[in-house]
Order: sequence, then C-alpha cells, then structure tokens
Amino acid sequence: MPEVVVSIGPQHPALKEPVNFKIVADGEKIVRLELDLSYNHRGIEKAAEQRNFIRVLPLLERVCGICSHSHATVFSKGIEEIMGLEIPPRAQYIRTIIAELERMHSHLLWLGVAAHVIGFNTLFMWTWRDREAVQDTLEEMSGNRVHYGMNEIGGVRRDLTPAQVEAALERLPALEERIKKYVEMVNSEETMLIRFRDVGKMSREEALKYGAVGPTARASGVDYDVRRDDPYLAYAEVPWNVITDTHGDVYGRTRVRVGELWESTQIVRYCLENLPAGPIRVDAPKNAPKGEILSRYEAPRGELAHFIRTNGTDKVERVDIRTPTLANWTSVAVCLVNQNIADIPVIVAAIDPCLSCTSRMTVVNRVDKEGR
Amino acid sequence: MSVLREMLENLLSRPITILYPKEKVPIPESFRGRVAITDDKCIGCSKCSLVCPAQVITMIDGPREVEFKGKSFARKKRPQVKLYKCIRCGICERHCPTGAIYLKHELSSSGTDREVVIT
Repeated sequence: MPEVVVSIGPQHPALKEPVNFKIVADGEKIVRLELDLSYNHRGIEKAAEQRNFIRVLPLLERVCGICSHSHATVFSKGIEEIMGLEIPPRAQYIRTIIAELERMHSHLLWLGVAAHVIGFNTLFMWTWRDREAVQDTLEEMSGNRVHYGMNEIGGVRRDLTPAQVEAALERLPALEERIKKYVEMVNSEETMLIRFRDVGKMSREEALKYGAVGPTARASGVDYDVRRDDPYLAYAEVPWNVITDTHGDVYGRTRVRVGELWESTQIVRYCLENLPAGPIRVDAPKNAPKGEILSRYEAPRGELAHFIRTNGTDKVERVDIRTPTLANWTSVAVCLVNQNIADIPVIVAAIDPCLSCTSRMTVVNRVDKEGR
Repeated sequence: MSVLREMLENLLSRPITILYPKEKVPIPESFRGRVAITDDKCIGCSKCSLVCPAQVITMIDGPREVEFKGKSFARKKRPQVKLYKCIRCGICERHCPTGAIYLKHELSSSGTDREVVIT
C-alpha cells in the first residue's frame, strides 16, 4: 500500500495550540512523523534583554501559564548565583511550596487532559475539580491563581502567614485522599488501561538517545531528576522519592505523574510543617556582575534550563530558554512509529506538550533570485 | 469498580459550581485585585512608574500638599494607572515607599465608565 501523508495543523479543530504534524502513514500504521514548530514565536527573549531585573520577572513568568513559577524561579536562581546572593531558608521553603503546588496543579490538569483525550470525560471533571483546591491554596498564598509573582531577585515577595499555612494544611488530607484514589484508578480502571497500555512505547536507550526529560524519561526507566541530582531550593533537606517506571508507554507516564502527585503532597506537607522562621529576602544589588550561567530546574513537564549572560548592568545581555517540551518532541516522533493513527492524540498528550512556551526561534529560509 | 463507587458518590452530592453572579466566590485576604492610590500618602516619587513591568503607570499633573515624616511638601505629580493594561503583579505595591499605591481585594473591575479603567 502506498504511504499517505496526513497533514494536521497549524490551525486545526483538534489542536489547542499551533503546530504542524505531517504524519506519514501506511494504512492505519504510522511510518514516521515530521514536525513543524514555531508558529507562535513571541519574542520574549529579546524583550527580556530590554528590561531590568525587577521588570523582567513578570515577563518570564508569562512564558508559560502552567509552569509560571518555574520560569521565574530558574531565572532568579541563576541571577542570584551570578550575584553571589545567599537566599534565606524561609524564602527557599516558600519557593519550594509554590513549586510543588504548581507541580500538583499541572499534573492534575494533565491527568484531566489525558482522560479527555481518551474520551473518559468523567475523570477529566473530577481531576479539574480537585485541582481547584490546589488553585485556591495558591491564590491564598500568592494572591493570584496563575501567575503567582512570588519571586524577586533575593528571595520572595510575600510571606506566608500562620493562617495561610493552617488553611493549606487543612486542605491537604482531602487532596491526599483523592490522589490515593487516582493512583488506584490508574492501575485498575479498564477504560484507561486499554487505551494507555503498550501505546507509544519508548525504551530506556531511546529515551536517553533522544534526550527525553521529566516524567516522559522517568517512565522509560531513566532515573534522573534535577531536584535530586542537582539540588536547589529546599529539596536537599526534604525527604522525598524520585518516581520511575519501566513500562515506557503512556501507562507508565501516567503512573509516574500520579506518583509525583503523591510525592508533591508530601513535600508540601513537610515544608509547611517545618517552615523556618526568619527573613524572606535579602537586598539584591541593582546590577549583576559580568557572568554566564546555565540554571536548571525540574519543571512539572521536565528539566527546564535558562542560559543567562550578564554584562555588569541591570539587564541581561542574553537569556536563552530551553523548555522541557522542546526536549520531548523528538521522543514523540519515536513513540509514534508503528502506532495506530487513532492513538496520535494520546501519545502527543502523554508528553504534556506546551507549544507556546516551546516556540523560541523562527528560522527564515530566504531564497534569492539565483535559488540560493 | 472504584469509578462506579465514585460515580454514585457524586450522584448524591451537590455540584461544586458556583452560580456567578448570584453567588460570589470568597476572595482571600491576599488577593491581588485592582490597583488603588491614596493621594494623601503619595509623595510623587514616580518609583511605581519606573518598576511597572507592563508600563501602565504614568506620572500626570496633580499639584497637592503632602505630609511625609511630619513635614508638609508641595508635590506636582501623581501616578495614573491604566487598569485595562494592568497585569496585577503587585510590584508597584512592593516598591512604594509610603504604601500609597496598593492592590484592592476587588475581583470584578469591568464597567463602562472611564473611572473604572483608569485610576
């Protein structure tokens, strides 16, 4: 049978964000995938070069709506290291709490989206309802539901009051109960097992070869997590486990994310119960000395990296953002080979793609009159 | 089975959706609502307009007498905030030396009057 190219996107009713898939299929089986990204270039990196360190953080937060705290923290962490600032322990703990709450809301959102993709809308409604409890906690602590704006160079902007800590601790048991149910559901619910098992398989070797990160890599047995392997914030002090799985398919990725949900609740609980007293920030100098740094962070979707170069002024000379989705796209191309066309949505959704944060670069191929 | 049990539980429970605007969601203490300015406290230092990431604060003419640290000063400028462009980051509140600019606990900020969108 001749191969057929199915082109989907960049504008398509089934796609929420602009990306172009060219799927080469032989009947129902996928032969290979050609991806065309960067339909949504927003020029954030260039805009970041023109703003001082106070004004650049809200901009970088807006790289992504789901992992907004990740982008602000990884940037602050890098600049603080260049400046040689020591962040107070209380600020480290508050940043960790917000980071883990963000991971919880991101994973709950993902679980809902994955359920929606396989037509299991009941679970979609349940997870999004439970996500509200996390969002409410975040709103109470930071004042915002999406862009928390908690970071500043040198610490955090808002302190946690005893009432906020108590309210968060009160919400946790109900959430833990729900997450236990999701763990049970993922492992036993036939609707999910049929659609997730043996779909989009990727071996450990392939995950390493194609540079998969985050839950996608950990589901293939790659035991790597920046929070443990290059500890930052309060992760070195908090007892927690890295969740890995050996299935390597969408089922494995679901198990890793649900397991991480549980670990996040435990990290948040520990941090809230052992919140150190003291100041929440140190005074940061206006200018950063000349320097370069690659700041790494485990965002909900995987390893996030900001390359920052400063030149002695109050602005960055260059900031280069490598989002986890960009690292995971190649693994999608591997996962899709020999799979059914009907499984495309769930395999693509399994890496938790965020296209708007991924578009960092636009390559313009200009052809002159002589065809060069 | 767990799903069936869950479905039955949900069938008997009340929906959690709130019937807005008949019912209002509770707004937490720390909520970042619309920006407000207390003219009596503002010393017109224009720090808020310098730090604003969305560049929505401009200094306009507003001659007045201001009391600061027990002394009376004549100030010429006051800040004006274009609320329709405000991203509610709260950086102005964080850097204001006198606490004159702050974020109110007000959820809704839509309307047809000019005063609703420009402070």
